Amino acid sequence: MPWYLYLALKQLFPSGRRIAFFTLASIGGVTLGVAVLIIVLSVMNGFGDEIRQKILETNGDVDVRSEGGIMYDQETVMAKIRGLPEVAAVAPYAQGVVMLQAGNRPSFPFIRGIDVRHEQEVVPLAKFLLIGRVDDLDDDSVFLSSELAASMAVRVGQKVDVYSPLLLERLKKDEILLPRELRVTGIFETGWNQVDSNTVICSLRLMQELYGLKSGVHGVSVRLKPGRDADEFAARLNAQFSGADRAVSWIESNRDFLFVIQLEKNMMMFIMLFIILVASFAIASSLLTAVVRKTKEIGLLGALGGKPRQVAACFCFQGFFIGVAGAVLGIGLAVLALAFRNEVTHTFARLTHSEAALLRFYQFSNLPCSYSPHDFAIITASSIIIATLAGLLPAWRAARLKSVEALRSE
Amino acid sequence: MSDFVLTGTGLRKHYRSGERAIEVLRAADITVLAGESVSIRGESGSGKTTLLNLLAGLDASEGGEVAWAGASITGLSNNALAGRRARFLGMVFQAYYLIPEIDALANVLMARRMLGRVGTTERARAAALLARVGLADRAHHLPAHLSGGERQRVAIARALMNEPRVILADEPTGNLDEHTGDAVIEVLLGAGAEQGAALVLVTHNPQHAAKCGRSLRLHEGMLQG
Ligand SMILES: Nc1ncnc2c1ncn2[C@@H]1O[C@H](COP(=O)(O)OP(=O)(O)OP(=O)(O)O)[C@@H](O)[C@H]1O
Ligand SMILES: [Mg+2]
Repeated sequence: MPWYLYLALKQLFPSGRRIAFFTLASIGGVTLGVAVLIIVLSVMNGFGDEIRQKILETNGDVDVRSEGGIMYDQETVMAKIRGLPEVAAVAPYAQGVVMLQAGNRPSFPFIRGIDVRHEQEVVPLAKFLLIGRVDDLDDDSVFLSSELAASMAVRVGQKVDVYSPLLLERLKKDEILLPRELRVTGIFETGWNQVDSNTVICSLRLMQELYGLKSGVHGVSVRLKPGRDADEFAARLNAQFSGADRAVSWIESNRDFLFVIQLEKNMMMFIMLFIILVASFAIASSLLTAVVRKTKEIGLLGALGGKPRQVAACFCFQGFFIGVAGAVLGIGLAVLALAFRNEVTHTFARLTHSEAALLRFYQFSNLPCSYSPHDFAIITASSIIIATLAGLLPAWRAARLKSVEALRSE
Repeated sequence: MSDFVLTGTGLRKHYRSGERAIEVLRAADITVLAGESVSIRGESGSGKTTLLNLLAGLDASEGGEVAWAGASITGLSNNALAGRRARFLGMVFQAYYLIPEIDALANVLMARRMLGRVGTTERARAAALLARVGLADRAHHLPAHLSGGERQRVAIARALMNEPRVILADEPTGNLDEHTGDAVIEVLLGAGAEQGAALVLVTHNPQHAAKCGRSLRLHEGMLQG
């Protein structure tokens, strides 16, 4: 080991003494910073994954639509897509907005007409149903999302009136169409708020009737086999289609939303890096004090045959070591804390009597968490770099000391 | 000529304090033969420390030349000199300057570390040197747990670690009581001679100076025999 590394280690861990306070405090600062960063980002990743998972689960991987708005050759399109090796399932759909009325409460939910047979292979509908069975859906019934049913005070078995845009269309031609009276046969909840708040599911045939589509549909959702890249598949599909249809991956159709999630995370990482920056100021000031305190010893190192840049390396290495040790311990602490995250949140909730609120406002009572090697790499690298930079100024001061003057100093 | 292990010829150094220039060294000449001991005395402020710094190559002379074992070091950068200094010179200071975080043995070994890896041979030599200066049982004491005289003896062992040709000692007994100082000088002269190192000893103590082979006086910027 070169003498300057040896000396750096000895200054961090002096012989015959328990660990130096400076070392303990500095490593502790970086450890806490790294741990907090990793905990927060991993939980944010967990939430992000959960949201992505929900989007995927409720939508399918790729959505194929006709440029004209209505697709009449869905059987051909589906057959073609089904033949591709990446594809697990395809299902046609028609969707839009209707007015729903139960008693005197109106609402304007989003409605999706599905082919029950195929749909179940794309979206786990049965899993989402709180009440009712998938087979209960016929051409005179609907499933309501949980919050919609609650806000309209409708229960399974009750009837609702549905007014479609086609009614208005006909009204313009002085024709009068009566609203369809439909039975609620199921209530579902996906856990994805955007869907649960305001969605009606009906049969494809009913939707075709409500929207006057005849045999047409609005599009086809595609479920890929696990691990396939939706963006890549959509692009390849588009290259195959000769213009009439367009495939859009779930990533592309939720681009803005996914971007916001990513942005939130990046901002969080940026802000939290300041914790490590603060720790590094403490390191810099301690090392700077050490350089001043050790002026004579630094002069002696010169007299013994040490070069200025070796003296500098001695102090820089101390910063580097603190950064590495802090990063390693911080990751360890974070992983440990995250392993017990549910115990921690439950204890916290119990102490603050907020267990019920936690369950009410979040659908989950367990904290999600997902480790990203990419985040770990960035956090480790930046904390090591920041801590090493903190050693740089003291190192430079030490290197500039002239032996003669250092030895003469009082 | 090749017998001279250390020569300084026409050394000059002045310092500026405000407008006044102080000529500390005017034209100092010194020659040291291999293995001999030379004492330098002089009033406080006469430039003894300045002279040693020039001889050690830690500071640059404004004129003349310093040669180590016949090879001039004048004009060489500190970086270029660093490794050569570690092999050629051992230095002992009034204030010991031991590294407080490491024990006596490690302080002695520090001199060798500057030159590369230390192995069992080096460790054995360091332990032997500590034994030679009478500190065999103090090898694993930290400097803070040693007395002044013991610390200075550790510093002497450190100066001898790399088998230097010359030891430059700047008032090594300045912080010690008379009795301890005498013992330290005995060790310095004895161990230095055994190791074949020449000694340049700056001292205020006439008895210590008398123990050296040759005595010089620094007066008005010049060395007199
Ligand atoms: N960096 C400096 N700037 C200005 N003056 C200096 C500087 N270094 C030394 N001097 C002056 O040079 C003169 C010689 O100093 P030096 O330390 O060589 O004396 P010395 O003979 O070793 O004295 P002492 O016996 O007290 O150790 C002193 O007058 C001192 O004040
Ligand atoms: Mg002096």
